[in-house]
Amino acid sequence: MTAIALAAGALPAGTGTRMLVAEEFHAPGLGLFQWEPLFDIGPIGVTKPMVLAVFLSALLIIFFWVAFHRPQLVPRGVQNLGEVGYLFIRDDIARNIIGKRGDKYVPLLFSLFFFIWFFNLASVIPFAQFPVTSRFGYPAVLAAIVYVTWVGVGIRAHGLGGFFKAQIPSGLPKAIYPLVIPIEYASNMIVRPFTHAVRLFANMFAGHLLIALFAITAWHFIVEQPTVLGFGVGVVGVVMTAVMTAFELLIQALQAFIFTLLAASYIGGALEESH
Amino acid sequence: MSVLAQVTGSIGSVGYGLAAIGPGIGIGIVFGLGVQAIARQPEAYNLIFRNMILGFAFAEALALIGLVMPFVYGT
Amino acid sequence: MDSRGSTEETAIVPGQMSQDGQDHHDPQNIAWSIVSYLLSGILVWGGVGWLLDRWIGSGAVFTVIGILGGCGLGIYLGYMRFTRL
Repeated sequence: MTAIALAAGALPAGTGTRMLVAEEFHAPGLGLFQWEPLFDIGPIGVTKPMVLAVFLSALLIIFFWVAFHRPQLVPRGVQNLGEVGYLFIRDDIARNIIGKRGDKYVPLLFSLFFFIWFFNLASVIPFAQFPVTSRFGYPAVLAAIVYVTWVGVGIRAHGLGGFFKAQIPSGLPKAIYPLVIPIEYASNMIVRPFTHAVRLFANMFAGHLLIALFAITAWHFIVEQPTVLGFGVGVVGVVMTAVMTAFELLIQALQAFIFTLLAASYIGGALEESH
Repeated sequence: MSVLAQVTGSIGSVGYGLAAIGPGIGIGIVFGLGVQAIARQPEAYNLIFRNMILGFAFAEALALIGLVMPFVYGT
Repeated sequence: MDSRGSTEETAIVPGQMSQDGQDHHDPQNIAWSIVSYLLSGILVWGGVGWLLDRWIGSGAVFTVIGILGGCGLGIYLGYMRFTRL
């Protein structure tokens, strides 16, 4: 039965063939994030994270379409909710960090925030229960989009040479410059987009792994192999699963906010660098 | 003599974990005392902030060296 | 009052922009920038030291010197950038 479920892609590969009749406790590993394809479209195998991504994107687009497609001056109904989301991005993130001319970039920041938040939320929704952003491809592409945007904006604002010259810090003793300039460039152009993506990915990866660990602990020690001593461990597992789920709700929103905040910061920095 | 217990796998990550204890405590102390100082005398914010950043940079440096060393020496 | 240090009187409010567009009073932004400078310093100058080691064939001497030097330069750059501008 588990073999069929594995082949159908409904269970991650890390659960193994002994999920329902295990003698030993097996902690979840990297296999928790590997998925077999559910079905094939041409040469591409469609896996559960892909289905989740498409479904959540469609949900998001439909929600904001319904909220904004016939906007009234005095908002009614769903438009209120949509406006709360939009004004949060425009006022607290774009105008705070970039200033008034950040209004041009609000659609990008808005999309980033809500896509990331919804993809993260999939971790705690029943039957989905997999944070789409814990596959590194998703945060990597989002960070790449932000990278191309701020490099493009900077080059358009200062010209190609001016863009690279504007990143050099001023006011240092002349002899230090050859030592420090490679660090500045490596930091801005290489390490920064990498940490931008990895911060989101690592938080979601670790959160999902923790929730899975505690849930498997609870299941193993209460249902599969109940013993007198093990039952206490199982109860701790149940409590910790609830606690970690609540903590994950906070972390998901926070990581989406931080990603968007840093994206706005990089764009604002590119627009204004003039030492 | 028989082996009673054994740790297998990547000892570099164990090394990094041990190396991160000190900087974790250090950064906590730096920012904790910094916040206290700001609360006592808010008009000295700039001065306190500069020293706080300096202390944070030194403590963080140790954590990052601990991250890089396993790669330098292999495993 | 601080009379030796800052030449410009900036408010304590995070989010206020300074001359180069980076929010110099948002501790999160600064903290991650310093981590990034440290990591870049270690990687760049540790990498240079490692390449020098392979060329000369001297074990890991220059790699360690490069790592420590890059660390110090990263700290210096972070300090200079975030406590003066």
